[in-house]
Amino acid sequence: MSKEKFNRFLLLLGLGILVVFLASVFIGRYPSPPGMLPRTLFEDKLARQLVLNLRLPRLLVAFLLGMTLSAAGAVLQMIFRNPLVEPGFLGVSQGAAFGAAVAILWFANHPLVIELSATFFGLLALAATYFLSTRIRYGGWVLRLILSGVAVSALFSSGVGVLKYIADPLTELPEITFWLLGGLYSVTWRDLLFVLPFALIGLVVTYVMRWRVNLLSLNDDTAFSLGASLTRERLILLITIVAAAAALTSISGVISWVGLIVPHISRRIFGASAEKSIPASMLLGGGFTMIADDLARTLLAGEIPLGILTSAIGAGLFIYLMISMSIKVRRDA
Amino acid sequence: MHNILSLENVHFSYGEEDPVVLADLSLNIPTGKVTAILGPNGTGKTTMLHIMLGLLKPIHGDVRVSGKPHREYSKRELSQMIGLVPQFESIPFNFSVLEYVLLGRSPYLNPFQLPGDVDVEITENALKEAGISHLAEKPVTEISGGERQLVHISRVLTQETKILLLDEPTAHLDLENQNRILTLLKKMAAQGVTTVITTHDPNAAIFAAGHFVLMDQGDIAAEGELDHVITTENLSRIYNTPIRVEKINDHTMVVMDKMEDYG
Repeated sequence: MSKEKFNRFLLLLGLGILVVFLASVFIGRYPSPPGMLPRTLFEDKLARQLVLNLRLPRLLVAFLLGMTLSAAGAVLQMIFRNPLVEPGFLGVSQGAAFGAAVAILWFANHPLVIELSATFFGLLALAATYFLSTRIRYGGWVLRLILSGVAVSALFSSGVGVLKYIADPLTELPEITFWLLGGLYSVTWRDLLFVLPFALIGLVVTYVMRWRVNLLSLNDDTAFSLGASLTRERLILLITIVAAAAALTSISGVISWVGLIVPHISRRIFGASAEKSIPASMLLGGGFTMIADDLARTLLAGEIPLGILTSAIGAGLFIYLMISMSIKVRRDA
Repeated sequence: MHNILSLENVHFSYGEEDPVVLADLSLNIPTGKVTAILGPNGTGKTTMLHIMLGLLKPIHGDVRVSGKPHREYSKRELSQMIGLVPQFESIPFNFSVLEYVLLGRSPYLNPFQLPGDVDVEITENALKEAGISHLAEKPVTEISGGERQLVHISRVLTQETKILLLDEPTAHLDLENQNRILTLLKKMAAQGVTTVITTHDPNAAIFAAGHFVLMDQGDIAAEGELDHVITTENLSRIYNTPIRVEKINDHTMVVMDKMEDYG
């Protein structure tokens, strides 16, 4: 795809997302499904408050969440040379879940404490995965990180299991469960401010290094011969974008499949080069998550957990893509 | 006048307990020629290329580029001087040939920079030089083995280095593709690029190279011009198998004889 064609495509995508965003402001179950008319905003004070205090921050967080998870997935898939990787893979999701459960159980159940704890444990899981991988004595860099990620995820996930077991089944357990299912139902402006710095740093670093990601996906000896400082550059990318994903996970709960499926679709449309597929992944992921969240809050009278919806849609798309043979896992990779 | 690339008493093993791979090895690579490194499996040919590149550091000894040791260059400077085509290179994503070859421009760009029009032009010229311009838009995973090796070589041409290291550039290729690749390497050497190849095929080495290095168990068994290195005695001894070197119409040929044990 030529540069001009790509830029036109991206512009169209941006406009499409803007339309989705504006429409999403009015879509909802108030005053009655499928939503309100624009003039209701001027006539109804409650509608105005609903849009300003609940829908706008929620939409923006949904957009950032989708962008971040997709960018993280795209970066991880290329750096690990494995098209079946997503952010949860390095132990981040399970670490964050453990952090949230700990906070729900012992730290007064304050939203900010839950977020800080989830972010902290998400990053702790990332660090544990990294240090464990440096201690494994066999296999290449990719294999060691993957093995460590699996082990750290399993540890934190068993930790979550223990916490669920000892949680008060009437008060704490439902909260932990709902957090694990993932959702943006309680997002406020304060949450947006909390994640914004993490998200911006991660997204900007990924965006400016997007062409370099191609180089970092090559064999170690080739990438070295082309002047890459492999460990340093890979770590900068991984830490910034995974920290962003951990911060967003701390307010959204576990949202899976977005980071896996969106980069695939993006590569299929825009080609493998990260120069194009990463910015496109960000936009596609943001739009996808906004639409999924619209469905989550409007389809049924009660809220459907966003994580369940993204899993259902993502897995469905994945099966479709697999059957249509567009995902190629190379044997020698 | 310094050699463009030389090893001085290079000693290397992968770990303290591991066997020595290269034992106090010294070697001068002649400038502007193809040098072929031959030797049995596991004799340290690939390790030596990785040491020349700077990917592996010798336990003691120096690798010098234009007389200066590696450590006096930055990583970026080295990558502008030495290019590598490894023996195995898997490309896990479906880059187009042009996108992949363009990565050869990385040494001239900082990590936050995108390649510009000049880089694309240099890349297109490299594809032309290698005779694969028509493949530019094809996905790298959908071309033949021979085309793929030409794509890898185009990538190092784009890197515009004075030194090229190629690990078994003709392995697994048919005769036509071997000819194309070796001819291209000879052409590069004629343009002043110092080229080092490793190979298991003495006839390919004779075809392309002007300087020969025969390695045996981490040491240099013979080094120099064709008639001095590629001899019946040297090859039979190093490879531990009956080998004859014959002259046919002024052309040196290496022929393998049947092992007596097998009648």
